[in-house]
Amino acid sequence: MNGPVPGKVSVLQCFASAVVRTVVLLVLWWALTEGDADAVAFGLWVVPLIVVLWWRLFPPEGRGPRVLATLAFGGYFLCGSVAAGLDVARRLLSPRLPISPGYLTYTTSLPAGSPRWLLANTLSLLPGTLSVTLRGPQLELHCLDTTAPVSAAVGHVEMRIARMFPR
Amino acid sequence: MSDSLIMLLQALLLVIGCLFFLVGTLGLFRLPDTLTRIHALTKADNLGLGFVVLGLLPSVPGPATAAKILLIWLIALAASATAAHLVARTVRATDASRDREERA
Repeated sequence: MNGPVPGKVSVLQCFASAVVRTVVLLVLWWALTEGDADAVAFGLWVVPLIVVLWWRLFPPEGRGPRVLATLAFGGYFLCGSVAAGLDVARRLLSPRLPISPGYLTYTTSLPAGSPRWLLANTLSLLPGTLSVTLRGPQLELHCLDTTAPVSAAVGHVEMRIARMFPR
Repeated sequence: MSDSLIMLLQALLLVIGCLFFLVGTLGLFRLPDTLTRIHALTKADNLGLGFVVLGLLPSVPGPATAAKILLIWLIALAASATAAHLVARTVRATDASRDREERA
């Protein structure tokens, strides 16, 4: 898999990453146990163990994603996935079944690792695209409608993801 | 009064959610091949589950439970995107090897 580039992660970034991961897992535990007070003590033992496991599986890759850009992307993705559902519903309910499926290979300029996977996975839930293979920067997509401007739409998503991960 | 209004809204959201699941399933019958069917299933079901979750939110006992069902939706999203990708990749690989056999 895509390991982190050695020597690029500072102590401060490691500390920030550990804090963020701990908070995320604590919130997760709170949600999973539905806020049960009896489960807190157990959670305080489990969370640090999971942080260690998470760290070993996915060491921090330098600066994490930007908070504001991530929230903006979340909102964009939400709207986009609603549009995707409506788009599919419209095509399926139309008697003519207006689709013209086909493949499209898109070369992404996003760095390897999480940004590329985020692009591939979100595209599968956005209108008209489904990620088929990801080899290096080559992302092979299956399109529901090849007459639509798919490339431009993918470029737009790519730009929004690039904003989340500053170089 | 407002209680029954909220219940009506909830019922509406749940019905809309189910309709999207129905449309996703319709895609299985109407669409010609595996890949186009995955398009329909992932996108319509994702939206359907979103509406069902929205419809359930007003009746949860507390914020933790609300967070839990939103989490369920998020994880279902991630799982459906990943599953869609894996199935699509397998279909692509199978098609490619069949093409090679036919040419040989």
